[in-house]
This record gives sequence, structure tokens and C-alpha cells, in this order.
Amino acid sequence: MKPLKSFSNSANITLAASLALAAAIMLIPANMLPIIYTQNAGRIRTDTIFSGIVGLCRQGWWSLGVIVFIASIFIPIFKLASLAWLIFAARQGPGAHARRLTRLYVVLSVIGRWSMLDVFLVAFLSGVVQFGVFAKVEPRSGIIAFAAVVVLTVLANEAFDPRILWGSPASNTPQPSSK
Amino acid sequence: MKSLDNPKVSRATALPLVWVVPLLALIIGGWMVVREYLDHGPEITIEFADASGVEAGKTILEYKGVAVGEVQSVGLKNDLNAVVVQVRLSKDAAALACEGAQFWIVHPQIDFSGVRGLDTLVSGAYLAIKPGSGSPITDFKGMGEPPPTQNKEEGRAFVLQSDRLGGITTGAPVYFREMKVGAVETSQLSDDSTRVLVRIRIYTPYVDLVRTNTKFWNAGGLSLKVGLFGAEINTTSIESLVVGGIAFATPEGELAPPAADGAQFTLLDQGEKDWLKWQPKISIHPPEITPASPVHGGEIPFVH
Repeated sequence: MKPLKSFSNSANITLAASLALAAAIMLIPANMLPIIYTQNAGRIRTDTIFSGIVGLCRQGWWSLGVIVFIASIFIPIFKLASLAWLIFAARQGPGAHARRLTRLYVVLSVIGRWSMLDVFLVAFLSGVVQFGVFAKVEPRSGIIAFAAVVVLTVLANEAFDPRILWGSPASNTPQPSSK
Repeated sequence: MKSLDNPKVSRATALPLVWVVPLLALIIGGWMVVREYLDHGPEITIEFADASGVEAGKTILEYKGVAVGEVQSVGLKNDLNAVVVQVRLSKDAAALACEGAQFWIVHPQIDFSGVRGLDTLVSGAYLAIKPGSGSPITDFKGMGEPPPTQNKEEGRAFVLQSDRLGGITTGAPVYFREMKVGAVETSQLSDDSTRVLVRIRIYTPYVDLVRTNTKFWNAGGLSLKVGLFGAEINTTSIESLVVGGIAFATPEGELAPPAADGAQFTLLDQGEKDWLKWQPKISIHPPEITPASPVHGGEIPFVH
């Protein structure tokens, strides 16, 4: 049984790693492409996440800009970097930092579901702000990539089993396949 | 349990199936980025003497009422004498930016001969383009005002020579039997500055009214005659009172051949009473007035 268990653990790590890598790849179009198109009294804008933050700060909405920056740029990158660290640590085998790493894992699980701020904002505005020539909001493809980043990160987080970090007394060292 | 003599030992495949996920992400993400950049048409620069109302990221380029591009940046030229506007065309509009294309800025314009660009009151100014036909280029010179006629193929243009302008403005109507059948396009001094040249355009259905022996006269303003038996005030219309106007009449009898595009005539200060009595029978094909007729694009010339 033991070899099978260790195999499934490594498969879990592989799955988490591949999902995290996919999320990291989608991070590029999510930040490069425009996420929202707004038309307000003839003023037309298409914004990427970053240009939206810059726009908020320029208009004096510093606090909002900081919130959007944290929610949309800092947290996704932080989550992916932390996941990479967790996966790397798990591949090294159980270590001394198990308690700290598990705490990090719990934090990631908790903030994961709060990362859809941008997606909700764009979806809400696109639905509500439809006033023909006066004001119109439409989603742009970047928001799909951003949603994919969030979903893939959450999936990677779910695939990762924090128990690997601890190991068990019996499986601390990989068991030879023949007993 | 019997053990196999030659157990076949196979290693796990080097690349587990899960790595399809990032591969898929790479393909989809790459496709999204590529598509975004393929959707962009060429970037062109237009030089304007004045670009008031043009804003980067807001002003759009319109052609036939459809947005075909967006202003990316507005900057001064190096010698500070002109403004350089960069426009990103949409992909399907790339063919518009050819040699000979003309660009101008549409502002709201309200004068006595009509209201133009009223939509720009809400949306701000926009750029308009009249496509060229040469080879594709990226550097253009913008124009200060719209080109004389946006549908050049429509109607026929004639040049009238006069001693003085007599209150005729651009867009002023041209009348035949007090019907508006054309408009003044531009007016300028002749090369030797001894005369004024007024270019008019007669709309398509009425072009045959102008013959080589047609008389043109200034119908603007009002003439006032006070005599022994009363006073007489003459004016063609309120509009021509304000913006000026030109009337013409064609002699009856044997019809002269229709005047060619660009033919020159003399613009007289006043018409003669006899000219109004001329009844030349010239067959024209004016647009239908019946409400059942479909509304087609373009200006219907007899609205006034």
C-alpha cells in the first residue's frame, strides 16, 4: 500500500504544479489584455488591470487604487509564488517548516475565493451600465484570462495536499518498493 | 503466488497527462494575445494645424458613421508648428489609409445654413476620413475643414467669376426657380486677385439644368425699390438673406448643350426680370417625394 500512497502524493504535487503553471501562464494575457471597455458620454476607454489602477490613482481615488492593486495584481502573484514555494518544499520531502508552510496553505485557501473582485466588478458593470450612447460597459478578453488565473490557482490549491509537508513517521523516507 | 519470470518493468511516462493543462493554457493564452494584436490595424500619424477637441484614448476616427480607429496620442511636432495625432486603425479599416486620404476634425457647427455634427456636442469632436485610392501610407496631413463635398461623384461643380463676393458664404444655396438645387462649395480670389472665384455644386438630378448659356446671378440679400407708386422688397428666401445665395436661369428655345464639370460662368450682381420668364423644357429626374419611397443615404437636396 505504501508505494501506492507515495505515488498518489507525488501525482497530487504534479497536478498542483501543472495547474499552478497554467495559472502563471494565464497571468500574462490577464495583465496584458484589456479587461474592460467603458464608454461614458462619448469618452471611450479600454483598460487593462494596470491602466485601470493608474486611472483610479490619477483621479484621486488612491485608496480604491490600492485595494484594486492588492486584489488584482499583488494577491494573484503572491498566491502563485506561495504555491510554487509549497510545491517546491513538498518535493524536497517533509521538512522542519511544516507548521509555517501549512499556515501559509491555510491563508491561500482562505483568500482564494476572494480574488474574483475584478471579475465581479466587470460582470456587474456590464450588466447594469447599458445606457446606449450615454454610458456603456463591456467586458474584454483579459477578464476571461484573469478569471482563469483565479480558478486555476484555487484548483491548484485544492490539488495540493498539505499533509505531504508533514509526512508520517512511517513514510518519512520513501519506502523501497520491495519489502 | 507465482512470480513472473520476466516481469516487464515500465517506468511512468516522462510527461504525465496533467501537463496538458499548462500546455492548453499556453495555447489559449497565446491565442488570446495574438488575436488581440492581429485585431489591431496599422498605426497612422496625421498632422493637424490645430487639434482642439482631440484627446488621446477618447477621440475616435469615424468613416460613414462607424468607428474605424482610435487616437492613441496627441503631441506637438518638433518645430511646434503643428500637432501630430497618432491613430490606431481597426483591422478591417486598414484599407482606408491610402495615399490621397483626407482627414479632418468634426466639431459641432451651427450656422444659418444648417446644423452639422450635432452629435459631437455630446460625444466630443471626432476625426473623419475620406479614403484615398493610392498605395497604403502611414503619414497624412489633416485638413482644417471638411473637404468641399463628401460625395464628390455626386452632382457637377461649376466655377463662377465675379467682381466681388457679395455676401456669399460656403454652403449658401443655389436656386433654380427658387428651388434649392445646389450649394456653394468654396470661394477664393483668382490668382491675379482681380476677381472672386466661387465654386458651386449642382446636385445630381439637376445637373442638366445648367447649360453652356446659363445665366448666374447673386440672389442673396434683399433689393429694395422705393418708387412713386409704392415700395418693392425682393428676396429669394430668408436663408439667402443671411448666408447669401446664387440663382440661375437657362434660356428657352433651342437648348444649348449641358455644361461640363468645372465649366466657368460669370456671376452677375443682379438677374434680369426676363430671365425669370424663361421656360426651358429640360427633363430631369428628381428624387421621388412620395412617402412610400425608401429613404436612401445622402442629402436630399430640396429640403429647404
